[in-house]
Amino acid sequence: MIRRLCDRFRNNRLFVKMFLVMLLSIVAVSIAITWVTLNTSERLFMQTFSITNSKVLTQIETSIGSLNYSIVLATNNMLQSGSIKSFLTESSGNSKSIARTYFGMNQQMKRITSIVDAYEIGITITGNNGRSFATDRSIWPLTDSELIVHPITEQTLKEPKRLLYQFDYVEPSETSAGQASIVASKALMERTTGFVYGAMYFSIREREFKRLYETYTSLGNDVVILNGKGMIISSNRADWIGQSDPDLLAKAREIVEQSLEYKDVDRDGRDQLLISKYLESLDLYLVNVIDKKTAIGQLMDTRAIVLIVIAIVSIALLIVFLISGRLTKSLSRLVKQISTISKYDFDHYVTVGGSYETRQLGQAFNAMLDELHEYVDELVETQRRQRNAELEALQQQINPHFLYNTLASVKFMVQQGSKEKAAETINALISLLQNSISNVSETITISQELVNMRNYVFINHVRYGEKIKVNYFVSPDCMGYMVPKLIIQPFIENAFFHGFNKKSEGHIYMLVAQEGNALVSEIVDNGDGMAITPEQLPDQSKGSRQLFTGIGVRNVHERIKLLYGDEYGVSIMSELGEGTKVKIRLPLIKG
Amino acid sequence: MKKLLPLLVVCVMIFTACASNADNKNENAGAGNAGGETTKVTVWAWDPNFNIKAMNFAKDTYAPDHADVTIDIIENAQNDIVQKLNTGLSSGTTKGLPNIVLIEDYRAQSFLQAYPDAFYPLTDVFKTEDFADYKIGPTSFDGKQYGLPFDSGVTGLYVRTDYLEQAGYTVADMQDITWDKYIEIGKAVKEKTGKDWISLDPNDLGIIRVMAQSAGSWYLKEDGKTADIAGNAALKEAMETYKKMMDANIVKIHADWSQFVANYNNGDAASVPTGNWFTPSITAAADQAGKWAIVPLPKLTNNEKSVHASNLGGSSWYVLNVPGKEKAADFLGATFGSNVELYQKLVTEIGAIGTYKPAAEGEAYKAGNEFFGGQKIVTDFATWTAEIPKVNYGMHTYAVEDIMIVEMQNYLNGKAIDQVLEDAQKQADSQLK
Repeated sequence: MIRRLCDRFRNNRLFVKMFLVMLLSIVAVSIAITWVTLNTSERLFMQTFSITNSKVLTQIETSIGSLNYSIVLATNNMLQSGSIKSFLTESSGNSKSIARTYFGMNQQMKRITSIVDAYEIGITITGNNGRSFATDRSIWPLTDSELIVHPITEQTLKEPKRLLYQFDYVEPSETSAGQASIVASKALMERTTGFVYGAMYFSIREREFKRLYETYTSLGNDVVILNGKGMIISSNRADWIGQSDPDLLAKAREIVEQSLEYKDVDRDGRDQLLISKYLESLDLYLVNVIDKKTAIGQLMDTRAIVLIVIAIVSIALLIVFLISGRLTKSLSRLVKQISTISKYDFDHYVTVGGSYETRQLGQAFNAMLDELHEYVDELVETQRRQRNAELEALQQQINPHFLYNTLASVKFMVQQGSKEKAAETINALISLLQNSISNVSETITISQELVNMRNYVFINHVRYGEKIKVNYFVSPDCMGYMVPKLIIQPFIENAFFHGFNKKSEGHIYMLVAQEGNALVSEIVDNGDGMAITPEQLPDQSKGSRQLFTGIGVRNVHERIKLLYGDEYGVSIMSELGEGTKVKIRLPLIKG
Repeated sequence: MKKLLPLLVVCVMIFTACASNADNKNENAGAGNAGGETTKVTVWAWDPNFNIKAMNFAKDTYAPDHADVTIDIIENAQNDIVQKLNTGLSSGTTKGLPNIVLIEDYRAQSFLQAYPDAFYPLTDVFKTEDFADYKIGPTSFDGKQYGLPFDSGVTGLYVRTDYLEQAGYTVADMQDITWDKYIEIGKAVKEKTGKDWISLDPNDLGIIRVMAQSAGSWYLKEDGKTADIAGNAALKEAMETYKKMMDANIVKIHADWSQFVANYNNGDAASVPTGNWFTPSITAAADQAGKWAIVPLPKLTNNEKSVHASNLGGSSWYVLNVPGKEKAADFLGATFGSNVELYQKLVTEIGAIGTYKPAAEGEAYKAGNEFFGGQKIVTDFATWTAEIPKVNYGMHTYAVEDIMIVEMQNYLNGKAIDQVLEDAQKQADSQLK
């Protein structure tokens, strides 16, 4: 199983490599581009954001400034108003005079209220004599007794010359809903003597105050107004209002003191951009808190971008997968086929298929195989022909010594007067030559070969005496089979001239029989024998003037192999002092 | 490659299909919201203890059967409502305006006549004959009923019985008296208890209006447009009475509503002739339970037409001619226009007395009020309601009032009464032209 997997992997190595490289590069490129795009736009966005928001802050500052100016105008009017002063300082009187004071105060307040008419501001005045007046108590729903002990009053009286902006939250009660208000307060003080006779409060609902800047805010882009003590007195974020945030105050101070354009901060694990302005006359810090993640998230749908990138990458990968799969599949199939071909044989052509490139490659390979085949065939043929020619030449070289010696023997016979024997010898020689000097590739029947052998043996007996007897045992059914010319002769010759160097006489047997599908001829002698293994064939071509032709035993073996294949050939068994047995295997060829 | 192409096409198609699917969903959702099965009806009113509370009761009775309507009640100061209405209606844009708005009867005509198309007629929504007659005049215009009468402004005289007794008087002495008698008792109370008899705001001449209406007279003539000051006997006597009170030094002065209420809750003032809507403010001081009684309003001493009944304040609901008006009208008709049960609840829970006549038959209207020693105050008020003289508040009540406030001070400071009325008449004539 694992091996199969490994095999598959090895076979698809190219594909895996290619795909991995593509995968990595596509993913890397898309990640890099996405990251750079997001980053660049974020930076650009932050820059523009900080620039526009500083302008926005300036506008908010202006609108808060004009609110402040109205309040300042109103406070000045109230400080200068005698009727208000008498309303707040007069201790007692009859109904009529009190009514007059109240009337005067009210007329005065009506005029003063018109100064701040543009805003929904409730004015409350309280006096040391316990009197109070409010234009709209619903804005800051406190009773007089609550107001007297209120921390805002305390602060106001502590700093009588300052107009203080403070935040107050009135818990919801039976008579009113919970109300967050911003209260600007100042003591009513005689300028000359410093006598404080009361206090005035300008209350504006936080939700009204918010309108001064709310339109400039958006999700993640929040405006916070902090007083000098770090309390958030107003914000478009309702959940922040009324909370103390000294950390934000410190940062806002830092921005103002170092006159920074903006400041990147990390608050509560959130990456934020702070822009701040200090409203000196109000002692308020105007802070623009931009939550980068939310603000940018609103502008850029990072998730959508990432999803789109992922989708594109997946599609690209799918396409790459399919295309490279097809490409490499045909290529690796080709490679696989080629590698097996070199191992086994050239007959297997590769399958032509796949992409244009691999098709061309396959075709080229097949064409190359064809050519290779042709060359090999041609080479084999040439070599065969050459060998044949060689053998033919050898065969046709009737050893001149043989002829000379034979003819010399005949001359002696004629001189001795044995004419008949001489004629017989001459006849044998003629027959032998007749059969030998024709085409070497020709085959002859066993009977003809037998005739040749008898003639050759006869001549040898004539020349060397008849000490070596030759006997022929040829199966009659073999007589008609065809064999190459002079195929047995070299072995008889070999037996004659090498088998009986020590022994002076002996026998040579020539046997021809059918053995299975083969024709077997054995030449057995009881001569000297040799120390050879069956595969070693004696080479007796050197210096043998007695030889009939140039064909040696080795040549015969090679010739048979060349003609009929590996299963045929010559094998020799020999034992010193016992004799030699040569076995020739030939195919059965009918004449 | 040839096989890949169809695959790509399929991919692209799937993607677009997904995208368009998402779009469709959004569109559907958007349509669902915009098509809006629920209509939002916005209501503007002032006074969380009274009007807002009453409206909440109406909302509670209406909501269970009408899931398709959400009632959004927003509290605004009365001045803000007036200002916003004027701004909005005069600019011709109804954007940002509510569906239902509460308007004081004194001001109603100034809106109805100035912006006749801005209001949605309620003629078919409820039966006008079911409501107190004196409320119909201010709430209708040109034969069409625009306002659904809400609270009654019927007046009575709230009086501290314990202070009375300390001064040697009883509640019986207070029944059907004249203003002169009232001042006389007040002097005695002040003398005996040191407590002021009445609390007044020099910048609000409500008591003058109450006295004038008790005699069937008003700042304006019948036409509702011409000032009726010089030669107005009722008005003259009312001002004289006012001055008498001031001169008698029995008046506690307040500058605003909370001080007004506080003066009574603290026990600094002993009586208050005012509208019945003051009941919750009186009963808010639980420690004074049993120490209060409500007696008929004193009448002008020298005016034969004057009766022991008058009206102060009181307001009605109006439907603005903006989208959702039908639903708003239906809401008003189903609640304040016909629901007797609701009126019982208003009486028991808030002490608010409506002007819906069938409601008077309910048990709550007949019940005695323990705070006032078991007095059947609702029945009493209902009786007095029937006696209220009808006047036309016209379009300029508050414009004239502003003039009168100033002139009143001149009068208190010694200017002759006839001269005061002459001057006021002149100013009013030039202003109301």
